[in-house]
Amino acid sequence: MPEPEIAVADIVETVPSALIILDQNLIVQSANRAFYQTFHTSALQTEGFLIFSLGNRQWDIPALRNLLESVIPHRAAVEGFEVEHDFPTIGQRTMLVNARKTMRGGGHDGYILLAIEDVSEERKARKESKRNWQLTQSIVDTIRDPMVVLEDDMTIVTASKAFLTIFGITQAEVQGRRLSELLQQQWDVPALRHLMEKVLPENKPIENFEIEDVFPALGRRVFNLSARKVFQPGNHAHRMLLVFEDITDRKRRERDAIALTNEISHRIKNNLQIIVGLIAYETRWTAPACVQGYQAMQTRIGAISQLYDLISQSSCGRTIAVNAYLTEIAKNLSTSLLGSASSITIEVRAEPLEIDPERAVPFGLLVNELATNAIKHAFPDGAGKVVLSVVQAGSDLELCVSDNGIGIKDKDAASKKASETRGSDYVAIFVRQLGGAIAPSLVEITGTTVRVLFPLRLTPSGGAEPVAA
Amino acid sequence: MAVILVVEDDMMICMVAEMMMQDWGHETLSASDEEEALKFLRSPQPIDAMFTDIYLKDAVLGGCSLAHQAIALRPHLKVLYTTGNFLTDNMKALFVDGAQCLGKPYSQTQLHNSVVEMLAT
Repeated sequence: MPEPEIAVADIVETVPSALIILDQNLIVQSANRAFYQTFHTSALQTEGFLIFSLGNRQWDIPALRNLLESVIPHRAAVEGFEVEHDFPTIGQRTMLVNARKTMRGGGHDGYILLAIEDVSEERKARKESKRNWQLTQSIVDTIRDPMVVLEDDMTIVTASKAFLTIFGITQAEVQGRRLSELLQQQWDVPALRHLMEKVLPENKPIENFEIEDVFPALGRRVFNLSARKVFQPGNHAHRMLLVFEDITDRKRRERDAIALTNEISHRIKNNLQIIVGLIAYETRWTAPACVQGYQAMQTRIGAISQLYDLISQSSCGRTIAVNAYLTEIAKNLSTSLLGSASSITIEVRAEPLEIDPERAVPFGLLVNELATNAIKHAFPDGAGKVVLSVVQAGSDLELCVSDNGIGIKDKDAASKKASETRGSDYVAIFVRQLGGAIAPSLVEITGTTVRVLFPLRLTPSGGAEPVAA
Repeated sequence: MAVILVVEDDMMICMVAEMMMQDWGHETLSASDEEEALKFLRSPQPIDAMFTDIYLKDAVLGGCSLAHQAIALRPHLKVLYTTGNFLTDNMKALFVDGAQCLGKPYSQTQLHNSVVEMLAT
């Protein structure tokens, strides 16, 4: 059969890899377009020449010479032969050479087909990736907080030295395993798993996920977990960095502080209970006309006592939520002055503002005084509504205590009872303590409204800075 | 009128609470901790209701524990808690069914209303 020369040439031209055909003397018979393009040469400079003499002998590479002169004569095919060489025309390159020998009739050697693939970029990227990974591992190992790197299937690629040391586990024991399988499965928490599953596909980091458990050889510990996708431009690897911050000591300090605050609050409120109880004891022998005064004193104590609950709930006891405080004062007034059967209701409308604890006392007492006045005097028929509201008004804070009762008909102070005058005195004192002023009354169709404006030394809820006293 | 067991570790508070209840016609018994209270509850002494502090001596939730033991001994006992601490949802979850809590400091009016509501349940 004739040699299929045309067919070979067709194949050679259609293959994207650089191909070159040599005869048994290693003379170039043909090469494809990809070869000429890759090596910046032409058919004229190539065909009919000994391969080693091509391009001013730039192909005279010892490794290639070894392949063609020593290996190919004994083997029909060689695959994946890697040649690294600095070509004068195209620079440093890594070539992957596949060689196949065709046999002629009678078992004689025919042609040698060399497929040359330029894998320089791939090898370079691989080296770069390896260097990056080594760098990452070095960084991971130098960070004090334990951390692990996870694949997208949640198996561990590597763990930092800190992780291995703290949890008393080896790299071999963690690699390829899921976090939930480690130790005594302390990390097998559904909420954490749910969050971790979103880190890679949704690029949604985990911030401050707390886990408290007993860990082998460590005892009870609290860890704060943070996770984020490891991102590198041009890198499509899907990996996650999970960091474990041991916050056991911090949590203990926080809990101790809360426990101390609660203990102090408990003792103060017990002492206030004794005072309220003694007042109650006094009322047994007090003339009925004076009982109201004693009861008013009890509600004032009640208004102050509400603060201690709110302080223990606030962050580090630095500010008091005004709306929560008003709600507690309203409850205290309802239970002490009205009872569940009363037709007088107290409504709270407050913006989410906070007040410093120092001003919270006169503020609470002021609200208590104004609301008590409304309850006692606005509703002779025993039904109505008192509204306690606080809004921010420009650079001021506006407290309004309003009712839908009978209104102030007699404005002559001289006709007021002694207890009412005393109430007004208290209001004036508390307003002065707050550094505020009573705003002029608006014309009202029904009821009474008292507006008090304070200089704005309040911060909105969630504000970063606490208010200075 | 009812027989009310007052469980309070502060003697002054306990005495004033008992005094108020006696003024309203109730009979009172007093105990300062779980152990003393359980002695009454295990005895044949008639008791209709128990008014207990939650924080009893060193037992932070002693009143909650006591109430459960009390209900086990006397299923129809009415219970009213009191506390000087902030009442958390975790604490409320420990309450026996239907029980309310009166925060300290409470006035005679507030205690009266709470006792009336407790006995009416």
